[in-house]
Amino acid sequence: MTSTTSHDSGERNEVARALGASIDGQSIDWQRVLHRHSFLELDALGRAEALLDEGSIRVLCGPFERLESPWLEPQNVTPQSDDGVIVARGTIDGTGVVVLSIEQAFQGGGTGEVSGAKISQALRLAAADSRSGTPVPAVLLLETGGVRLQEANLGLNAVAEICSALLELRPLAPVVGVVAGSVGSFGGISIATGLCTHVVVTPEARIGLNGAAVIEQEAGVEEFDSSDHALIWAVDGGEQRRRTGLADTLVVDDADALRDAVRQAVAAGTTRPGAHRSERLDVLDARLATIDPANPPEPARLREMWGDTYDMPPTGPATTHRGSDVQPQAGTTHSSMTPSRRGRTWITALSGTTPRPVIDSVLRADTDEAVYLAVVPDPDNHFYRARQGQVGVTESAALARTMREITAEDDGRAERRAIVAVVDLPSQAYGRIEEMAGLHQAMASAVDATEAARVAGHPLITLVVGQALSGGFLTHGLQASQILVLDDPGVEIHAMHKEAAAHITLRTVDELDRLAKKIPPLSYDVRDWATLGFCDGLLSVEDADTPTEGDVRSVARDIADAVTRARSGPTDLSNRLESVQAKKVRKASRTVRDTLARQWNEQ
Amino acid sequence: MRTLHYTFPATTPPARRAHVGVVGSGDLEILLEPGDDQNGSTDRAQVTVRTSVEGFDEVWQTTLERFFARTPVRGAWELNDSAATPALVTLRLQQAAEASGAASSSTAEGEDTS
Repeated sequence: MTSTTSHDSGERNEVARALGASIDGQSIDWQRVLHRHSFLELDALGRAEALLDEGSIRVLCGPFERLESPWLEPQNVTPQSDDGVIVARGTIDGTGVVVLSIEQAFQGGGTGEVSGAKISQALRLAAADSRSGTPVPAVLLLETGGVRLQEANLGLNAVAEICSALLELRPLAPVVGVVAGSVGSFGGISIATGLCTHVVVTPEARIGLNGAAVIEQEAGVEEFDSSDHALIWAVDGGEQRRRTGLADTLVVDDADALRDAVRQAVAAGTTRPGAHRSERLDVLDARLATIDPANPPEPARLREMWGDTYDMPPTGPATTHRGSDVQPQAGTTHSSMTPSRRGRTWITALSGTTPRPVIDSVLRADTDEAVYLAVVPDPDNHFYRARQGQVGVTESAALARTMREITAEDDGRAERRAIVAVVDLPSQAYGRIEEMAGLHQAMASAVDATEAARVAGHPLITLVVGQALSGGFLTHGLQASQILVLDDPGVEIHAMHKEAAAHITLRTVDELDRLAKKIPPLSYDVRDWATLGFCDGLLSVEDADTPTEGDVRSVARDIADAVTRARSGPTDLSNRLESVQAKKVRKASRTVRDTLARQWNEQ
Repeated sequence: MRTLHYTFPATTPPARRAHVGVVGSGDLEILLEPGDDQNGSTDRAQVTVRTSVEGFDEVWQTTLERFFARTPVRGAWELNDSAATPALVTLRLQQAAEASGAASSSTAEGEDTS
């Protein structure tokens, strides 16, 4: 028999593709079909082993360390002894690497306190070795639905720490993201995917900020039909992400193919500063400008419009409409989120000036000592899923651009200005157009620029005056060196809206409220959030909606104090494990940090 | 969630600790460690089961009893269960015994690499 047959039948081609024979257009290699070893069928440990040189694997913080989540048992959920993340050291073509492999079968790969700390602390150790002369590339196997809702706020913070640690390593050694499927990379971890040096995908992979089910729940079945698998893969699928330059290598589900792709990415080394996808703001802006939400392209069209490399698109800007010219698709539900004025109120009051719009939904106000930034509602936003103050694609891009501008403006200044994020956002934008356009990549650009500003020496202060939810907060606020929150019932910090969180975890809202009383990371009460170890100030005010002069004065004083602390503190997020509260509540994270450090160089 | 404890007579010592399985829907993970002889755990299998499903104490008892009657591997057994069927529980127990070197098989997998 011949090993290569040219394909004439579409049906046979489909079958061959399903078997992992080839990907679009190439001829079918039947020998390969027969000899293929599925990577998708492997568990997290098997995947790590498949990528490493044979016999080189050494698992750190393994199952017998019993570093399980302390939050699951009290919620009647059986924990797993390694919390669903394999940390493996080993070699790839003789180069020492670390592989971080998420077990998708445990809690859908959801990021919890322990599993998240394993990833971020391993990345930090790799960065430390790399700084002292031994670059340690990292390979991340990212299969997750996002933050583990049973550990909500600790999971959300873990994602922020992962992003920061990833960016610490990325200039020193390549960080290779692998999304093989079948869960895909969603939620906050998709932002981390957007930060990687190189992303490897299979046709079974998916990458997106919001999964289809979450969008359907928020915006209705007309916005995104989560039972339409063809649509899901057309938007989020590995092939689409590769063909639009949001992933770098597309391989079939074959362990050898995955291994070769990872070997090449590791051998290619680091990307020069400024050239990472999440740093190419020119490309992000130009790409977003090609989309008119009033008349969005079919996902397949995007491949021609944008091209398959993350570079300036061949298509020019579309004429975009605003306001009532752009209406949500017929049949979609209006957002349950209500526009809030608190962001605009507080940025105006604190800066003492009239803030100027970077875009209509992102405000900037400058004083001599600080720059204030806020995401605010824009009822005419052409990306209509971001009209209530959500962080969407253009908000992320504007935040990224502004962070880079401020950092550049202060180059050469004796003391860099503080950047104050005034946070009141109901969440990220939930929409099909957003996912198609790569909301995760836009958010990655904002996270990257924010981290860069902090590392450059800008004290980053976050002041939460209203809601701070989920991906919105990850993009605007959660990378700060100091986080201050108003002690007010209208302030809410969480990984997901209460109704949606109850729905996803199969609980009633009442049950969720009862559980939250004994599980602080689950709580929607900001006073509980303040106990988790990364609250640098719970500020009392008389009126959070219409602050009094006294309120503004005292909050301004608290911000000034936070700036002083930030200037003498670390430029990374390590202080989040050193606070008095962290020593009580984040014991498990600290144990992970210490155990990994101890085992890192053991033989 | 429910935590159950069982003890069975068991004499075969495991050569090494073993870990198999995952706490995925319909599955379980098993950790087996050689017992501490000083602690009087010789000739016993001490089993701790944490399961997400309540009301199956007798099924666990029967399943484990049958397994240890045929495969009397001693030591500390820890089962973290997410609604696995008795058949799968038995399979995973067998895999753990094989991975620990206490039961023979040509297809031992899930060997401890940590």
